[in-house]
Amino acid sequence: MKVTYNWLREFVDIKIAPKALADKLTMAGLEVASIEQRSGDHIFEIEITSNRPDWLSIIGVAREVAAVTNKKLYAGRCQPRRGKKPHQPNPQRLDVKIGNKKDSPLYTAAVISGVKAGPSPEWLKNRLELMGCRSVNNIVDITNYVLFEIGEPLHAFDLDKLEGDTIFVRRARAGEKITTIDAQERALGTDILVIADSKKPVAVAGVMGGKDTEVTEGTRNILLEAAVFDPVVVRKGRRSLGVQSESSYRFERGVNPEDVETASLRAAEMIRQLCGGVCVLRKRAGAPLRNKKQISLELSGVNNALGIDIPAARVKRILSSLGFKINARSSGRFTVVIPHHRPDIRLQADLIEEIARVYGYENIPVSLAPARPAAEGAGFKEKVAFIKDILVGLGLNEVITYSLIDKKLLRYFGIQDTLEAIEVLNPLSSEQEILRPRLMPSLALCVARNLNRAREYINIFEVSKAFFRSEGSFKEETRLAVGLCGERSFLLESGLIKDPASPLHLKGILEVVFERMGIKEYAFCAQEGSSDISVSIRGETVGFITKAEKSALDNLDIKNKDLFALEVSLEKMISYADPERRYKRLPVYPGICRDISFILKKDIPAGGLLKAVEERGRPLLKEVKVSDCYQGKQIPQGFKGLTVSCFYRSDERTLTESEVSPVHSLICSLLKDEFGAQFR
Amino acid sequence: MSGMDIEAIKSQIDSESGGIDSARKLEDFRVRFLGRKGVLSQLTALIPALSPQERAIFGREANALKNRVLSIIEEKQKALAAGPARCRDNICDITMPGIAQELGRLHPITRITDEICSIFSRIGFSVVEGPEIETEYNNFTGLNIPLEHPSRDAFDTFYLKGEKGMLLRSHTSPVQIREMRSRKPPLAVVVPGRVYRPDATDASHSFMFHQIEGFMVDDHIRFSDLKGILEFFAKGVFGKDISMRFRPHFFPFTEPSAEVDISCIICKGKGCSVCGRKGWLEILGAGMIHPNVFRHVGYDPKKYSGFAFGMGVERIAMLKFGIDDIRLFFENDLRFLRQF
Repeated sequence: MKVTYNWLREFVDIKIAPKALADKLTMAGLEVASIEQRSGDHIFEIEITSNRPDWLSIIGVAREVAAVTNKKLYAGRCQPRRGKKPHQPNPQRLDVKIGNKKDSPLYTAAVISGVKAGPSPEWLKNRLELMGCRSVNNIVDITNYVLFEIGEPLHAFDLDKLEGDTIFVRRARAGEKITTIDAQERALGTDILVIADSKKPVAVAGVMGGKDTEVTEGTRNILLEAAVFDPVVVRKGRRSLGVQSESSYRFERGVNPEDVETASLRAAEMIRQLCGGVCVLRKRAGAPLRNKKQISLELSGVNNALGIDIPAARVKRILSSLGFKINARSSGRFTVVIPHHRPDIRLQADLIEEIARVYGYENIPVSLAPARPAAEGAGFKEKVAFIKDILVGLGLNEVITYSLIDKKLLRYFGIQDTLEAIEVLNPLSSEQEILRPRLMPSLALCVARNLNRAREYINIFEVSKAFFRSEGSFKEETRLAVGLCGERSFLLESGLIKDPASPLHLKGILEVVFERMGIKEYAFCAQEGSSDISVSIRGETVGFITKAEKSALDNLDIKNKDLFALEVSLEKMISYADPERRYKRLPVYPGICRDISFILKKDIPAGGLLKAVEERGRPLLKEVKVSDCYQGKQIPQGFKGLTVSCFYRSDERTLTESEVSPVHSLICSLLKDEFGAQFR
Repeated sequence: MSGMDIEAIKSQIDSESGGIDSARKLEDFRVRFLGRKGVLSQLTALIPALSPQERAIFGREANALKNRVLSIIEEKQKALAAGPARCRDNICDITMPGIAQELGRLHPITRITDEICSIFSRIGFSVVEGPEIETEYNNFTGLNIPLEHPSRDAFDTFYLKGEKGMLLRSHTSPVQIREMRSRKPPLAVVVPGRVYRPDATDASHSFMFHQIEGFMVDDHIRFSDLKGILEFFAKGVFGKDISMRFRPHFFPFTEPSAEVDISCIICKGKGCSVCGRKGWLEILGAGMIHPNVFRHVGYDPKKYSGFAFGMGVERIAMLKFGIDDIRLFFENDLRFLRQF
């Protein structure tokens, strides 16, 4: 909202420069976003918080200026005396009927006769122009001037264009229309409050007047409206018509019913002076003003809440400078009477803020309350952080992608649980249609983007929520997803080694994580009829490893590349974590290692073979692992070459060749007989 | 002492200087001929035994040898400085790329979140997370945000299909309600997490971003404690030389409320394009927890008091790293991510 320095000075004796005043206002909660110097004045652009409708006027800001600069506020300068009752040379009949007092608690109409509508004087034009408001004619300009000055929106109708002698404040009827002063024809609905004459709506209440009844050059008699409209009704009406005005802005935040008459009288007086009209009739409908609220305030409450020690006199001075009335009840206890322009003040806490604001937040000391924490072990979050550190150590880069995605992204990956995905009611675009039930497609998007930037190897991970419906309600689960694409290059002294991404890399990543988390008894199982590999811990599936289908990659414009991804539930995984470590005594006696090289039918999995060897070799065989594998010219079609290392050791003695050889022979015959191994 | 010795040394110098191809060898060469026990000092040690005539000739010749060695050293030094360094015995070319397992990177948002949470952990705050799908009650009503109020505009929200009143949290404050309902004071908690608002995306807006919420509730928490703890935080993140200011503001869930600025970390308060010529950067909103919030969670506002604050993690990260476009955080270009 705009205010000008000179206009403020009509109400307060300001002794400080505009910049200094702006700083004071900012530190009192009226943030001055900019100061513009124009036509011998300074325009302040102030950001007004939604709780302070009283600041949407020159007089409201002036009250604040008076409080923070310790000066007197001359509010009376815009409050003309009520004077005599209007005389009635041509007794005019006029009735005001309010349909629902909730929609409009107060409506006043003043009939002003014999005006001469025409251009405004220069000073008025200039001042409105500084406020960002275009001059229309003297009558309309006066209503706007008073709106800015007092904060109460007014509207002037051309009385002679109104039909009948009753003004109705009512909801629009279905099918009614109005052409507003911006020359737009607008269809009205029953949720919109209008001002109507006996035939038709003539204004959208609190938002905009009608074209047919607007004041123009030839206007002789006017009806001046000053009213209170319900903030919610104005807000809804303004939204459904898609318009906004200085009036609706103020009504939505709530106007002070006390200002209705003040503003009407002020405008009538200005019209008399500038346009020569005489007020011949005043009508008022609606409820009388409510009694002023009272709140009790304890000085100790103020000081305890703020951590300061303000004397009672200072508190009283601050509150009265803001328009509050203070009655002392006993030492340190007051009753504060809340003026009508401060509907936001409801509790002692609100008064404490007022005191702190004017006292100055900068004058409140700094202290450090000690936290009294409860003892806690490492929780879920710490474990997740630990896992992230492991992944970074393995060379993976963390990404953060949007939780909201386009439905079609799931379709690309043939994810069937689209029905289980949670849809957003009010997305701004199709890219925010659903909450993702999987992380993997988002990683694929990241991969595509990085490939576009000519990156050879992409290794990324994300820890984030997946969302889905389960048993009729919304569920969210923290997951880890990893995506690998392309070839990692290692430049060694012996030359370049290329290491294309594969599911085994993903398995390797999980194995490191499992080992570090103390997770045992896990399994990676190929799925029948699917390219997915399930990941399970103690029989519970926690996630999957997958190779993206070509069709999905085509849709993302990923060409000639494979994308491998894994996605696991961290909640499930971490539930199996066992961080306890027990020291195992180091072996006293050395062991013996024997390698066996053989070729084997390609489709025999290594896992089962190792397991069988392990069982056969007990108890001397302590460890068996694949130490080499090869395929190539020397290996016949349909076969693969493997080298298995067997490590024999005893806890009781140093083993001899003669002890190991029989066991090793048993293993060799097992490989030959049960797995068809041919030794090389 | 004969002229033969001089000649022998001379040819020794010439032949040995040919093999100098490293700083190490040059130094060996220097020590061998000019060192304290070097060839030339051995030579001059002979002078006292000579006749006066011999002395003059011998001295001249020895001097010439010394100059020869010095000029060779100077020449070789120049040559070595120009040429590439090579290991002795060709162990390796150390100018080739180093060999190491490449490290990954944490996302800058994660790094800043961790940094901020650890500052609060140091003074006894615990880190808690909450769900991203929330109820209207926790996101608004419990926080004293009335349904039909302009203040709701600031918290524009994504609603979800299928269950009435379920939404994506528009701030991390609902976790305040959850924590306070499930625990009793004293509480000192920070809550990092994703939040969502239907804002059109541009360089400074994103429909998804991260916040850190913090709050403390106990018998005697005062506004001055809020100032102290936020100062501890801001100096921890931005350095102890910054200054801070608390400006009155409005939030429905706190009273009194404040916006907190730090002196611009670019221009140190003089005014620049980053701070909009103000010299100050707004970094968070805060205040004393509103009595109505305490009533909603069943705390007695006469017995307890507390403060709460909330900040945008992207904003802090952008200020700290000098990033000028919020979209970079979610594009995940590895060239960007690997800078942190």
